[in-house]
Amino acid sequence: MIKLQNIEKVYRTSSIETLALNNVNIHIRKGEFVSIMGPSGCGKSTLLNIMGLLDEPSKGTVEIAGSTVDKYQDKALARLRNEKLGFIFQSFHLISDLSVLDNVEIPLLYRKGSARERRELAQEALEKVGLSNRMKHFPKELSGGQKQRVAIARAIVGKPEIILADEPTGNLDSAMGNEILSILQNLNKEGATIVMVTHDEAMAKRTHRLIRLFDGTQVTDSVLSTNLATGV
Amino acid sequence: MIRHLFKLIWNKKRAHSLLMVEIWASFMVLFGVLSLIVYNVRNYMEPIGFDYEDRWVLNLSNNQDTVAVGDKVASIIQRLNQYSEVEEVTRTGSNTPFSMNTMNNSVSYKDVSTLTNFYPVDENYATTMNLPVAAGRWFNKADAVAKHEPIVINNATREKLFGTENPIGKLVKRDDKSFWRVVGVVDNYKAKGEFMSDEPGLFTFIKDKNAWEKEFILKVKPGTDANFEAKLVRDIAGMVKDWNVEVTYMTDSRKNQHSLTLVPVVIFLVICSFLLVNVALGLFGILNLNIAKRKDEIGLRRAMGATEKAVTRQFLGEIWVLATISMLLGLLFAVQFPLLHVFDIAGGIYVVAMALAMGVVYLIVTLCAWYPSQQASRIHPAVALHAE
Repeated sequence: MIKLQNIEKVYRTSSIETLALNNVNIHIRKGEFVSIMGPSGCGKSTLLNIMGLLDEPSKGTVEIAGSTVDKYQDKALARLRNEKLGFIFQSFHLISDLSVLDNVEIPLLYRKGSARERRELAQEALEKVGLSNRMKHFPKELSGGQKQRVAIARAIVGKPEIILADEPTGNLDSAMGNEILSILQNLNKEGATIVMVTHDEAMAKRTHRLIRLFDGTQVTDSVLSTNLATGV
Repeated sequence: MIRHLFKLIWNKKRAHSLLMVEIWASFMVLFGVLSLIVYNVRNYMEPIGFDYEDRWVLNLSNNQDTVAVGDKVASIIQRLNQYSEVEEVTRTGSNTPFSMNTMNNSVSYKDVSTLTNFYPVDENYATTMNLPVAAGRWFNKADAVAKHEPIVINNATREKLFGTENPIGKLVKRDDKSFWRVVGVVDNYKAKGEFMSDEPGLFTFIKDKNAWEKEFILKVKPGTDANFEAKLVRDIAGMVKDWNVEVTYMTDSRKNQHSLTLVPVVIFLVICSFLLVNVALGLFGILNLNIAKRKDEIGLRRAMGATEKAVTRQFLGEIWVLATISMLLGLLFAVQFPLLHVFDIAGGIYVVAMALAMGVVYLIVTLCAWYPSQQASRIHPAVALHAE
């Protein structure tokens, strides 16, 4: 589902060159729930950005859902992001001036479909994360956990095959964190391939596979469970 | 997407209220200035109706002299006709073309009455001014003894008083006791110049012995210069001692009339331009600030599948929605002008001014939003998402 080969990422300024990722090779299969761990600044988020086609590697090839990404053209990347990928961020990134329902509809604005279809899909996604009673609320009226559930609904509303979560429980207390992880586990059971960056060892242990990075290099790749989801 | 943008703007209406007031005010000022410009341009496009090149106005003032004024005027006309430099001579009232004088009153036909400009002229006026007669005829000497004094009306008077009826031979009520008979119709006659609207007007006939009207229009040969002007003034002053004799060129009077119209327009235009430049700079600053504040939203939208173009379109769309809401408020005010016939100006002028004002506002907001929107679209999504 995600294949990274010989990935290298170098950040250059006029005076400094920083090697963020060095020869990373990862193959994530359909239905896997993979966690990525490592100390701050080790390249976790860079790796996730490359998987999410938000950033371009300096070297190496990326394959997402069977499509090899070689010519990073804006329109094609946007389409892949819209149709194949769902994003969840630590700081939720909800638009404060839009209601919960309108926030969830955002990915659908960039694909064909009627307003009615968008509404129905957004309602369905919110029901899935248990927020059907908060559709008209605005983000400021929600707790952290609820905000993250809205972000999850937004990530799954377009029915993507892959969900990329960048420290989804980082801003939440442990109870809320557990709740969010359970939702992600359920989505994985329904067939979604999930890659989650986390600092929390306990959370990582609840996934199928753990990849550890250190100074931009992949140091371990351990399988924690072989019980993969079978498909959507 | 449009619905989404309306929702986004509506939910931020408080934050945008000042911007909306600014756009609304710009629209209203633009509407006012453009109404004035459209009114003047439309008038300018209408033919003036007569020739003014090589026409001089000779103005005589008899001061304290009241002896045989009519005879003296007649001998002056005779003298004027003898100059080889003068091709035509006509006698008129003091409201010669492009002068500051106006004479008007109401006239009526059946139940219709209209305020009309009066222009006293003689039988030579049409040929001297190259004023074509569209229907009927111009005055002749025999009109002096007609039972009802003859008049020639312009097309604007004909439309107001007669509509589609043929006016020739009809009697127009002058006052409670007397009537004028219409003998001819001319098309346009814009005595105050090209920027004047084609107002109702009528020409009355000056009889030979009339002692009141002492203005003359001379059609001089092309190239006639100030030497002849000096000779003319000297000769006429010699004929009528203690009278004032003054010559003005019609082309100069026309320029003065144009200045009277154009100076206020230019002043308003300059004020309006300053206002618009201020609004544009303000808008540009606000949009730049907005984009800096909304970096994470831009990153999010890119992550959700928005292309660079979609981000540009969104920011442009937002400002268009804002401008549309502001101008809808402005239109509520502007539309009252044609509905209430403010300043008695044709409704079409206001409608054109509204459309132009909307066009200019859309153009300004687009120009102001273009660069910040482009900047927004070029923000790298990964950077934008981690801007916090």
